[in-house]
Amino acid sequence: MRVGPSQDEIRRQNLGALLRFVHVHGATTRAELTTALGLNRSTIGALTADLAAAGLVTEGAPRETGRAGRPSLVVRPESDRVFAYAYSIEVDRLRAARVGLGGAVLDRRELDRPRGLTAAEAAPLLAGAVKEMRQALPEDAVCVGAGVAVCGMVRRDDGLVRLGPTTGWVDEPIGAALGTELGVDVPVTVGNVADVAVFAEHARGAAAGCDNVIYLYGDVGVGAGIIAGGRRLTGHGGYSGEVGHMVVARDGARCECGNRGCWETEIGEHGLLRAAGRSDARGREAMLAVFDAADRGDAQAQIAVRQAGDWLGFGVANLVNIFNPEMVIFGGTMRDLYLAAAAQVRSRLNSNGLPACLEHVRLRTPKLGADAPLVGAAELAFDRLLADPLDVS
Amino acid sequence: MSATPLLELRGIDKSFGPVQVLRDVAFAAYPGEVTALVGDNGAGKSTLVKCISGIYPTDAGQFVFDGRPVNIHSPRDAAALGIEVVYQDLALCDNLDIVQNMFLGREKRSGIVLDEPTMEQMAAETLAGLSVRTVKSLRQHVSSLSGGQRQTVAIAKAVLWNSRLVILDEPTAALGVAQTAQVLELVRRLADNGLAVVLISHNMNDVFAVSDRIAALYLGQMVAQVKTTDITHAQVVELITAGRSGGLGLTGESATNGNGAAPADSTTGGVS
Repeated sequence: MRVGPSQDEIRRQNLGALLRFVHVHGATTRAELTTALGLNRSTIGALTADLAAAGLVTEGAPRETGRAGRPSLVVRPESDRVFAYAYSIEVDRLRAARVGLGGAVLDRRELDRPRGLTAAEAAPLLAGAVKEMRQALPEDAVCVGAGVAVCGMVRRDDGLVRLGPTTGWVDEPIGAALGTELGVDVPVTVGNVADVAVFAEHARGAAAGCDNVIYLYGDVGVGAGIIAGGRRLTGHGGYSGEVGHMVVARDGARCECGNRGCWETEIGEHGLLRAAGRSDARGREAMLAVFDAADRGDAQAQIAVRQAGDWLGFGVANLVNIFNPEMVIFGGTMRDLYLAAAAQVRSRLNSNGLPACLEHVRLRTPKLGADAPLVGAAELAFDRLLADPLDVS
Repeated sequence: MSATPLLELRGIDKSFGPVQVLRDVAFAAYPGEVTALVGDNGAGKSTLVKCISGIYPTDAGQFVFDGRPVNIHSPRDAAALGIEVVYQDLALCDNLDIVQNMFLGREKRSGIVLDEPTMEQMAAETLAGLSVRTVKSLRQHVSSLSGGQRQTVAIAKAVLWNSRLVILDEPTAALGVAQTAQVLELVRRLADNGLAVVLISHNMNDVFAVSDRIAALYLGQMVAQVKTTDITHAQVVELITAGRSGGLGLTGESATNGNGAAPADSTTGGVS
């Protein structure tokens, strides 16, 4: 029978908490850490010394405070030295980045992704981008892991991409493929793009401090990353949040998943372009062109944007009624749709949402912008480091 | 989302000669919230803003700022309280760079020379605080900036002075889709940073995209001030054009001020 956590476990926990704090909040004085973590000064001093010895943080003199008394030392994450690789596999592009501890993107590469590219074909492309970035690597840099954000349903246990209707992937082991291709002996963690984006926005973006958040990510399809009660909602296998496949119209348009009338057939790329009479166009640029045409007075584009906005409001009202979030974030193409059709989105939401659920809901666009999938993918990799700082580094 | 307004106006009257432009207007702006001020041309939006910023004296009425009654007789009084206005023409000088524009007329000095490093640092910190990533150099002339970037500089200039209330007059007029989106996000961020923001706009999309409350003026009267969650597009358009919508707005012939705090009747729910 165990009585309680051992000294060792407590220390590991405290090290993780301290590192997480500077990772999320940036440079912090020892005095602030003492208050924020509720530990005494000598403990903070000892923990900081351990982390500094492991090369994860540095301590330095603060800027002039202008106040009396000995200034408290400032603890900074080693953002330039300790990093993770982050990949984002989107419908039309592949992105690779090097993200430092503290969440800053240090280096990045971007490639076009022809639609229909398989995981086995995508991995060498991403590996090539990483090789380029490696050439500019500082000598003492340490990689602590890699994270992947992918548009598709990801099995939580092993990162297998079970189904990505928009990428055309079925049962693709992208994590393993990238691992072998990169030859890095660090684990590769895979997550759904909306899930990792909400992770990033919750840690250091628009939703910081909010415990009930829905992040809607749109491209061809639409998915949601959901944080409920401060925890990521993953579902049993890790597939939760496929809100784009809520059926909203009984005899609606055919969806790529095989059903009819899924929500994403109305608010996703195909739905908007179809309604605007541009069915042969595709891609994010084509969607932005519709918003632009609507702004310039193209009547058909205006109708298409309003309809899509109305449908967006329907679905958001359903989600708000079910989850009672304090914030809904519109990311990917949903950002552009929301900003172009906010009057329709809000009107429909206000009409269909239950008054009690609507009371405190805030509608926002991502603070991290298009970087959220990359920053979130890196968070996946940093999670292991933060759980046990001295072991991983 | 605070319950007490930062700025509250009560019973504001304003006439230009025989023409009464504002009639018993009540208005409130809350810290951390965007309050959209909407109304047709000639409804009195600009006059109301000029009364708040001290350009026009009011004929009657009370100003309450931060819970205390105040008098605003000049733009200087307004600035001292932390009220800044960004006008539609932005009032930027094309031949000066971004830092010079942000400090124009209020330059920092060290001794007898200008304190350029401090000004540049303050400008950089302000832009970074607003997560502005579109501006490359602080020393480029404003003439080389796009419309959206100019708007960004004008807004940053307004928040530089520890402002507490920022009034934006049609910030997205004449901007393209992408730049409008950026400016809207900036407006939202100002409020999320704790400022009270008043947004004047004719564009219902902009109003619904960022506002927490909507105040509608109709022929010089404040017909409703409601939360954005309690109203639909169609209702706002009715308030602007007819001064009433269902249970909201003017009631009967003699109504002087429909200080509509009642929740909106959302049964109409129409979407155009």
